[in-house]
Amino acid sequence: MPELYLRLLNRILTPILLLLAFYLLFRGHNLPGGGFIAGLMAASAIQLQILSRGHRRVRRTFGPYLNNGIGLGLAVAICAGFAGLLEGTFFKGIWFNLDLPLMASIKLGTPVVFDLGVFLVVASFTTSYLLGLSRVSDTAAHRRDEAASRSGYSTAGPDQADRGVATGTRAES
Amino acid sequence: MAVSANLLAVPVAAPLLTAALILLFARWGGRRRIRHQIALTTLALCLNLAATAILFQATAGRGERFVLQLGDWSAPFGITFYGDGLSATLLLLTALVALAVYPFAVATIDYHRDRMGFHPLYLFLLMGVNGAFLSGDLFNLYVFFEVLLMASFVLLTIGAQPAQTNSGIRYVVLNLLASTIFLIAAGVAYGTLGTLNMAQIAQRLTMASPAVRTVFAGLLLVSFGSKAAIFPLFFWLPASYHTPPPAVTALFGGLLTKVGIYTLFRSFTLFFPELLVSWQPILLTISGATMLVGALGALAQPGIRRVLSFHIISHVGFMLMGLAVAQSGNRLAVGFGLGAAVIYLCHHMIIKTALIMAGGAVELHMGSDRLASIGGLVTRQPLLAFLFFMSAISLAGVPPFSGFVSKLSLLQITLDTRHWFVSGISLFASLLTMINMMRLWRESFWGDYNRPSRVPVRILQSRIRQQLMLTPVAVLVLLSLALGIWGGPAFQLSMKVAQQALDREAYIEAVSPSSPISTPGAEQPLVSLQAYFSDHPKAISGMTARPLLESR
Repeated sequence: MPELYLRLLNRILTPILLLLAFYLLFRGHNLPGGGFIAGLMAASAIQLQILSRGHRRVRRTFGPYLNNGIGLGLAVAICAGFAGLLEGTFFKGIWFNLDLPLMASIKLGTPVVFDLGVFLVVASFTTSYLLGLSRVSDTAAHRRDEAASRSGYSTAGPDQADRGVATGTRAES
Repeated sequence: MAVSANLLAVPVAAPLLTAALILLFARWGGRRRIRHQIALTTLALCLNLAATAILFQATAGRGERFVLQLGDWSAPFGITFYGDGLSATLLLLTALVALAVYPFAVATIDYHRDRMGFHPLYLFLLMGVNGAFLSGDLFNLYVFFEVLLMASFVLLTIGAQPAQTNSGIRYVVLNLLASTIFLIAAGVAYGTLGTLNMAQIAQRLTMASPAVRTVFAGLLLVSFGSKAAIFPLFFWLPASYHTPPPAVTALFGGLLTKVGIYTLFRSFTLFFPELLVSWQPILLTISGATMLVGALGALAQPGIRRVLSFHIISHVGFMLMGLAVAQSGNRLAVGFGLGAAVIYLCHHMIIKTALIMAGGAVELHMGSDRLASIGGLVTRQPLLAFLFFMSAISLAGVPPFSGFVSKLSLLQITLDTRHWFVSGISLFASLLTMINMMRLWRESFWGDYNRPSRVPVRILQSRIRQQLMLTPVAVLVLLSLALGIWGGPAFQLSMKVAQQALDREAYIEAVSPSSPISTPGAEQPLVSLQAYFSDHPKAISGMTARPLLESR
């Protein structure tokens, strides 16, 4: 059963991937990295969850919030642009130093906020894409099984049934 | 009133922010959430219209130019937004068209599309179109092309009818091909000139070898021409415009090809003004063929929307004809042709949208748009019949509507520059347009009342929806009438716009005042090319490599 190994791997890899994503996100404004690649990395951690635990559980956890994640990310990114207007130009970077007691000071600014928005957009979009793909492959596998067993049992989930009704209403207008 | 360059960000940022907010709050609001989305979208469209109107007043009215360097990163390194009269005119008309189509869309789009995100997609499409009009470097132009391509592809295929999917795939494949050619052109520009900033490209092209110029111009003509639906490259347009809901077709017909037209205008005036003279026979041939093929193709079409989409192609030919004669006014002021093309563009965007909406209303009333099976709507819908007739004769070029003024000015410049053949073709295409418009009106409004579909249309039983459908058409027809009546002042304004667009030194000056001829980024590709050729001496014997190296 391959999922056993995936589950074991998942426990080790997911925290590492998420930490790496976090690290890349917060160094991206000066060094290689940034919101886009960090978002992809976080999405790959979620893809690992999809592979090891099945897409239904992941969909229950993340599914309802993905569109909101895209919207929130876009809004955050564009608001970082509007913050630049305080200094006179759209998207102008505003920087300030954050002094922490133990470490040296950290430089923070609106480009970090922009990167955060990009991270949210990329992570949510890629996750929704991966979930969609896994559903398609799932229904395809289901159809294959069905054709093999010739049971005639309907597998149309709520989504498929919903879509059928909706296209039916479209036909009349 | 002083206008800040930050205003240039509004046409991109306002639709994007609103679409983001709609997506963010899409889960809350229960059954009322569609209403909230409609309210937010309307707000964004009004804001966009206000911003572009201020911009138009400042640029076309007072002759200013605006350059926004995002984040204060100077020209070749950052993202540049550039706004002059030409871009402001197109932005204003885009805002008008988007605001006019929206009530029609609200009235006619079904609940399924509402729920699938029609409203944010509408805003994303608007953002892509606006960004393409504003962007000052080739790479961002490409990005905004992709934004509008993806938004329009989803708007086209949402609902997943087989015909829609079929047309959507043809649309997206042919457009992606054009985008790829554009990307190759951008690669050529970066590899030979070392920059993607449009002002710097214009600067360095004057020193580049003729081979580079010709290849670059040819690639741009093919890719932008394909977006604009010129003669041999228009096949994506009639394949796709008749399948989505009428509101989407109206939006596409008003906006999409104009991005291609604008980029053609911009690239030929900014990059290769001398090619407007040496390539004039090519451009005139293409424009004549486009006019003729569009008008003749429309004659053979069986449905209202198919006829109208072929007419879009024909009109693109008219605008290209204006561009082709832009540099060759022998006794008139230079730029007369481009001014005529700009006023034709205004006329076309206004009245084409109105006509597609009126045709869409006919289609919704009848349940079909096949001309052979419908008829007699004039007794049931007299107001619709009147509006359809008015926009049809405006499109055909009957005074006092805007079609007359714009066609007359285009004809005048082509006759003055002695291009008899093309002006003959344009007259013939106008005649065909008239015939087609009368055919549409006769088949759909005259005769016995004949409604092929037995299914009652629910959305037409509500009075307010009927008003939402017809009011924007009426407003656009009135605008066309105003443009025709005040044709003189409008023409002077568009001449100012054209002269501003043809002044390429001022563009370069505005974008990069210090004009660094040799930036570090510029040297690098050429140095590596030279290193390559010294390592591979045989490659130098190639025809294209030698003038490239000698030009330095």
